[in-house]
Amino acid sequence: MSDATAVFELPDELAIDTDVARRVIAGFIRGQLEQAGFERAVLGLSGGIDSALVAYLIAEAIGPTNLLCVLMPYRTSSPASRTDAEAVVADIGCASELVDISPIVDGYFEAAAGAAGREASPLRRGNFMARARMAVLYDRSASWRGLVVGTGNKTESLIGYTTVFGDNACAFNPIGDLYKSQVRQLALAVGVPEAIVRKAPSADLWPGQTDEIEGGFSYPLLDRLLFWRVDKRRSTEELEGLGFDAALVERVDHLVAGAEFKRQVPPIAKLGPRTAGVDYLYPRRRPGSSAR
Amino acid sequence: MTTVRIALAQIAPRLGDLEANLTRHHELLGQAREQGAGLVVFPELGLTGYLLQDLAAEVAMRLDDPRLVGLATATSGLSAVVSFVEESVDHRLFIAAALLEDGEIRHVHRKLFLPTYGLFDERRFFAAGDSLRAVPSRLGFGVGLAVCEDFWHLTVPQILALDGAQILINVSSSPGRDLAATNEVGLGTATSWRLLMRTYAQLTTSFVVFCNRVGVDESISFWGGSEVIAPTGAPIFSAPFYDEGLFCVDIAPADIRRERIGLPLLRDERPELQLRELGRIVQERAGLAADSTDPKADA
Repeated sequence: MSDATAVFELPDELAIDTDVARRVIAGFIRGQLEQAGFERAVLGLSGGIDSALVAYLIAEAIGPTNLLCVLMPYRTSSPASRTDAEAVVADIGCASELVDISPIVDGYFEAAAGAAGREASPLRRGNFMARARMAVLYDRSASWRGLVVGTGNKTESLIGYTTVFGDNACAFNPIGDLYKSQVRQLALAVGVPEAIVRKAPSADLWPGQTDEIEGGFSYPLLDRLLFWRVDKRRSTEELEGLGFDAALVERVDHLVAGAEFKRQVPPIAKLGPRTAGVDYLYPRRRPGSSAR
Repeated sequence: MTTVRIALAQIAPRLGDLEANLTRHHELLGQAREQGAGLVVFPELGLTGYLLQDLAAEVAMRLDDPRLVGLATATSGLSAVVSFVEESVDHRLFIAAALLEDGEIRHVHRKLFLPTYGLFDERRFFAAGDSLRAVPSRLGFGVGLAVCEDFWHLTVPQILALDGAQILINVSSSPGRDLAATNEVGLGTATSWRLLMRTYAQLTTSFVVFCNRVGVDESISFWGGSEVIAPTGAPIFSAPFYDEGLFCVDIAPADIRRERIGLPLLRDERPELQLRELGRIVQERAGLAADSTDPKADA
C-alpha cells in the first residue's frame, strides 16, 4: 500500500503515476474543447470527490475563469455536500451558480405525474433528479458557451451505478477510465480538500445514503475485482485464486453485463446503405465541424 | 561527414485537416533547415491525423499529388520522412511513409502490419503493404523505414538491416496507455517501446530513430517520447512525453562502423538458414508438408 493509505485504502495494483495522468488529462481536456471550438467548460458540482476532482483538473487545464460549476441541490440533499462544493469553488476561484432542482422535481412528481408520481420509488426520484441536473447543465452549456464535462468514474460506469442520460450525459469525460480508488489518489495529488477525499461516497439521494452501504461492497475490493476481471481479463477460477469470493464475482459480473447498454450509443435500425455508428464512421470532430 | 543532425518533428497533427498539416510541415522543414538538420522526421500520418476512419479516403493522396510533390520540392539539400494516406492506382488506401530527398520522392514504405485489435481498427480502413526495402540515401548510408506496428514484428528491423539499412526510422502514432505506478517511466506503452527499440538498435547494430506524435484524437492521447538510439543500444536522445516540439540530435555515422567491426552480428547473420526454415514452416502451415514439429508425426 502506498502513502495515500493515510487517507484511504489504495490497492497496490491500482496505483497510478499521477503526474502522467494529470498531463494526459489536461491535454485531453484542451484537445476536446479546441476540436469542438469551445474555450469554456461547465460541470455539476455535488460536493463529492468525482466532480471535485474534475473541477480541479479543468481549472488546471484551461484556467479557473473558463469553468462554471453549477451546484444543484434537491431539498433533501445534505447541507454538508453544499458546504464542501462551496469550499471547492472558493479554492479553485471559478464561477459558480446555485440551482435548486426541488421545484422541477417536485413539480413533476406532484403535478405532472399525478398520484403515481407521489408514490414514486426512490429509484425513480433519483433518476429524475439526475436528469433534471443534466437538463440544467445543458441549458447552462448554451448560455455559458461551455461544454458539459462528465464526472462519472470507471467503477460506477462498469457496475451501472449511473443514470442513463442523467449523470452520464456529457460532451466528454476526463475521469471515466479511473476507478474510484484512482480517483481518490489523483484527487489528493491535485489538491482536492482532504475532507472530501475522506468522506464516504454517496449519491446523496436521501439522508445517510452511501454507495458502499447501498451496494454492499467496499470500493477498494470492488475496484480490485473489476481491475483483474476487466483490465487483466482474469477468469472466475483465476479470480478465486486471487482471493475473491465466488458469489461476489458472480454478482459483479451480472451488474457489469446488465449495464452494457448504459455505456453505448443506442443502436439505430440498419435500413439504408450507410448508417451512423455502423458503416458511417467519422471522428466526432473533423474539419468543418467546429462551433467557431 | 562527421555528424548528421536529425530533427524530430514531434507534432500534434490536426485530424483530417490536410491543408493545416501541410502548412505545418513546410514551416518545420524550414526551421529544421535553418537549424542545420540533414534529416527531418515527421510522425505516422503526420499529414492527416491518425483516427481517420471514413475520412481516410477523403485525405488520401496519389504519389503524383501536387501537395505531396510540393512537399518533396521543399527538400532540396535535405532528407525528410513524411507520412500520409497513400491511394494506389487501383484505389487501395495505405498508411505510407515516404523518404523525400533533394526535391524527389526517393522511397515509399507502406505500413506492413495493421493492428486490428484492442483499441486499433486499422485493417478495416487500410490495405497492408507487401514489400520491405532499405534504400540508399544522400546522407551516405542506407535508410530503412517502418511505421509504428511494423516494429512489433522482429522481421522488420532484421530484414531492413540485412538489406543495408544503417539507420532504422520508425514513425509512429502510438497511443499512450497503462499508467500503473510500477512502470519505469510512468507509462506502460513507453516502457515497452523503449525496451524493444534499444534491443533492435543493439541487435542490428544500427541507429534507431523513433518519431512519435503528440496530441489527442478522440479518446486517445499520443505520448511523444521520440528517440534516437545509438548502434550500441544506448539512447542518445529522448524527447519529453506529450510536448510538441522540433528536437535536433546529432549522430556520428562512424559509430555504425565502430560497432559493426567490434560486434559483427550482421556479418554472422544466416539469412539462408532463415529462408530454408521459413520455407519449411510456410509449407507445413499450408498443409503442403507434414508438420515436422508434431510429436504424433513420428508415430
